[in-house]
Amino acid sequence: MWKDYSWSSLKNNRASNLSVVIAAFISALLLSLLCGLFYNMWKYEIERLTLEEGGWHSRLEGDLDQEDIERIRNFAGIKEVAVTEGKGQGGGTTAELYFDHMRDVYGNTPRVAALAGISPETVAYHHELLAMYLVRDPEDPAPRLIFPLFLVIMAMASVSLIAIIHNAFAVSMNERTHQFGIFSSIGATPAQIRACLLQEAAMVCTLPVLAGNLLSIVLIKFLLKLINVFLGKGIPGRHETVFAYHPLVLGLSCLVTVITIWVSAWLPARRLSRLTPLEVIKYSAEPELKRRKSSPVLRLFFGMEGELAGNALKARKKALRTANLSLVCSFLAFTLMLCFFTLSEISTEETYFKRYEDVWDIMVTVKGAQVDSFEETRRIRELEGVKNVIVYQKAGAKRLVREEEISEEMRAFGGFDQAYGQEVERTDEGWLVNAPLVILDDDSFLAYCRQIGAEPGLDGAVIRNQIQDVSDPDFRHRKSGPYLKGEKTTSLLRLAGGKEVSGAALAPGGHRGERAAKIPVLSYAAQVPALREEYGTRDCYELVHILPASLWKEIRGQAGEGEEEIYVRVLAKDQASAEELNRLEEEIVGIVGNVYRTESENRMEEKTLNDRQIRGMMTIFGGFCVLLAVIGMGNVFSNTLGFVRQRRREFARYLSVGLTPAGIRKMFWIEALVIGLRPVLITLPLSTATVWYLLKMSWMEWPVFWSRAPFVPVAEFLAAVWAAVALAYYLGWRGVKTISLAGALGDDRMM
Amino acid sequence: MEILRCEGVSRIYGSGQNRVTALDDINLTVNRGEFVAVVGPSGSGKSTLLHILGTVDKADSGKVTVDGTDLSTLNPTEAAIFRRRKVGLVYQFYNLIPTLTVEKNILMPLLLDRKKPDREYFEEVVGSLGISHKLGALPGQLSGGQQQRAAIARSLIYRPALLLADEPTGNLDRKNSGEIMDMLKLSNRNLNQTIIIITHDEKAALEAERVVTIEDGHIVGDERRR
Ligand SMILES: Nc1ncnc2c1ncn2[C@@H]1O[C@H](COP(=O)(O)OP(=O)(O)OP(=O)(O)O)[C@@H](O)[C@H]1O
Ligand SMILES: [Mg+2]
Repeated sequence: MWKDYSWSSLKNNRASNLSVVIAAFISALLLSLLCGLFYNMWKYEIERLTLEEGGWHSRLEGDLDQEDIERIRNFAGIKEVAVTEGKGQGGGTTAELYFDHMRDVYGNTPRVAALAGISPETVAYHHELLAMYLVRDPEDPAPRLIFPLFLVIMAMASVSLIAIIHNAFAVSMNERTHQFGIFSSIGATPAQIRACLLQEAAMVCTLPVLAGNLLSIVLIKFLLKLINVFLGKGIPGRHETVFAYHPLVLGLSCLVTVITIWVSAWLPARRLSRLTPLEVIKYSAEPELKRRKSSPVLRLFFGMEGELAGNALKARKKALRTANLSLVCSFLAFTLMLCFFTLSEISTEETYFKRYEDVWDIMVTVKGAQVDSFEETRRIRELEGVKNVIVYQKAGAKRLVREEEISEEMRAFGGFDQAYGQEVERTDEGWLVNAPLVILDDDSFLAYCRQIGAEPGLDGAVIRNQIQDVSDPDFRHRKSGPYLKGEKTTSLLRLAGGKEVSGAALAPGGHRGERAAKIPVLSYAAQVPALREEYGTRDCYELVHILPASLWKEIRGQAGEGEEEIYVRVLAKDQASAEELNRLEEEIVGIVGNVYRTESENRMEEKTLNDRQIRGMMTIFGGFCVLLAVIGMGNVFSNTLGFVRQRRREFARYLSVGLTPAGIRKMFWIEALVIGLRPVLITLPLSTATVWYLLKMSWMEWPVFWSRAPFVPVAEFLAAVWAAVALAYYLGWRGVKTISLAGALGDDRMM
Repeated sequence: MEILRCEGVSRIYGSGQNRVTALDDINLTVNRGEFVAVVGPSGSGKSTLLHILGTVDKADSGKVTVDGTDLSTLNPTEAAIFRRRKVGLVYQFYNLIPTLTVEKNILMPLLLDRKKPDREYFEEVVGSLGISHKLGALPGQLSGGQQQRAAIARSLIYRPALLLADEPTGNLDRKNSGEIMDMLKLSNRNLNQTIIIITHDEKAALEAERVVTIEDGHIVGDERRR
């Protein structure tokens, strides 16, 4: 009989069952997704650890002879011993132990060590690997959180999913409480009612749970592929994730889902069994307002229908709470995520790619070369597609800035007030500041001289004479002005870190190990050669000297002061494609690589890589947000639908006292509007505030963000939400339209 | 032989200003095979008393014994089984399950007990109530009188010790209510069925051998005729 009853109830309550089906499907999907992803992550982590550090459980090190090893091998519970000779830190032999049961590791390894006559101090454990199997050493203080973290996430997800399913069940329960009251009054025991509810839950949920689990397997496979594509190529040598799905994972996620559903079906059953049958029968499916409330705004705008709609929404506040919450959360998360990505994209672009568009296309770092002796410059310049080549080298030096040299602007910016750390050293004669040297090949230096309008020459340096107003915290829009007055025609540099060289006098006040070199100054200029380096940003007080290779050759003293590297900066002809840049990069490396060790980068390639990483992140986060949104929307849909369905009697009553169907339609519109607008009204100010804060933090301006703001996806998301609400109300409206007044009212539920 | 005994039964709804004493110190005994009519003005506590006797509601104080069972000692499961086997309840409004056929609705107390229905008795009950031709229909497709007959059939199907009916003829015309009263009297006489009915209907009350009058939660009259 229960089976008959359940079947006919299922047939008669399609709408509310649909919401249960959706809820079950989504929670099964999510739980299984979480479990599966975690399993894969866990497996990946173990594979990575095994690959990078070995799969041993613990390790002994010391003087081990064949006999010791044999003894270890025969120790009970040891599966395998891998011996490496002479590789230990003390030159001793290491033995890597594998145990049959991992939990024996911490207990038995010291015993094995004692057996082999090795001090227990040399014993090492593979804590990370063991922690992945939840085998923890009580003395290992490091918090190995992956596992617990996942458990917490699982628990949280389960609780929220229980809330969703429970809510869906509650809606369909409310509709039938009266019937269970009748059953109870003619002698159905609480256990029988509970069994009926559980049986029904099983009937409704089996298929969606299976479908959710299967779909999640497909999704995990897809997600892992995405992760491999987007992240795998970014990190060279990264171990690729391989999809795997253990039957145990399926079992676990099914179990959690089933428990969840069981609890959700059991909760209302228990609540029922606590009431007397009379209370249950009288329990009306229509929640009533506890206190008199009014909705002045809605009444003002929409008249009587507005007030009715407002009261209906208020009376069912609790039922709609989960729907509202999940909708607001998912919408907020989605919007914030998009804003955050847009901001970080703008930021990388502004600070990285845009700025370097006219600065470099290919950078080749040449190891062990000196700019004055590098001979391949000409051949690189002659390559096809090359517009401009600068070969340069960097060196560090210090220089004294005297009080009388400082410009008026610099004084106005506060002088050296803001200096800290290693930037500036106060001495009796003035301030000792960093003076980075940029040494250009001679041709580039002459071109640079012409560019800044100085007399070209190879016997002196150009000083970058510019400083920012450090006192202004808005680092993107700081004023700048000349650093020095620019009257002196020589500059005394203290070259760092060389051997003392005869002939180079120790500079006044200089330290030992520093050499002084007095060089002529050709010009003071605000402009620096177009290189990737930036000056005056980290250390605002540095005084950059740009010098030609010929001059450097004279002052640098003996060659071979440690390993040097020079940079070949190549700017390709305009609009060079990625392929052209790749070809050019290969050719240059081909020329230089014969003689030197090189590393090379290519701006386009970096940009694509970066783009891909961002897109990968967005896909993953976006996926989660969409999942969240699907929950929210499913929830809204099922709730709204159930909400409308539950109110047939309410509507019948309205109709019977003369409210027209058009009036009811108006009520529906108002309700849908309120439900749909709420997330927007909550999200808009919150996300505006967040974006405002982020913009302020990164000193960006509104218009920049505005022109790129993610309006379209947010609008699409919103449209989807509204569509879900509208569809639910439309379906509800169809149900109400066919309402038979007599039927709905005649089925009186009072005793 | 005594089948029902109420001693000092009280039922109070609400609290404070909304406090309503629906039943106040009711003492009543009914013997097996009696046909009792309970009458009284609206709101006097008739339905409340019936619900307490049928264990769908609980008395706040006092003791109710039905067929030797003290109702206050029953846990929810025992109470359900007691309702199923010992009492048949007919409500003022029919309270049928709208998604099950009339036949299933009638057989429900038996099915809850996983008992095979006695076909002969079933035919007899539905036959005498005149709803044999409506067994396959859903309750919504029946008239009010037919629904009430189905509810009565359901209350009789287990041959309960006590049949409690709350205005079974309240919504019916003279002909229909006469038929139902005849049917109840028949089962009272033939099966020695103990029956307590609530009614506003003078004529129906006159059919009973004993009339109990309730006013404001007190029994103010108990008249045995014949
Ligand atoms: N759930 C309830 N909450 C509060 N008061 C109640 C409740 N049920 C009944 N009452 C009150 O208890 C009193 C008795 O009600 P009851 O239903 O027993 O009356 P009745 O005699 O059956 O009336 P009628 O002939 O109209 O059916 C009434 O005053 C009623 O207002
Ligand atoms: Mg009554």
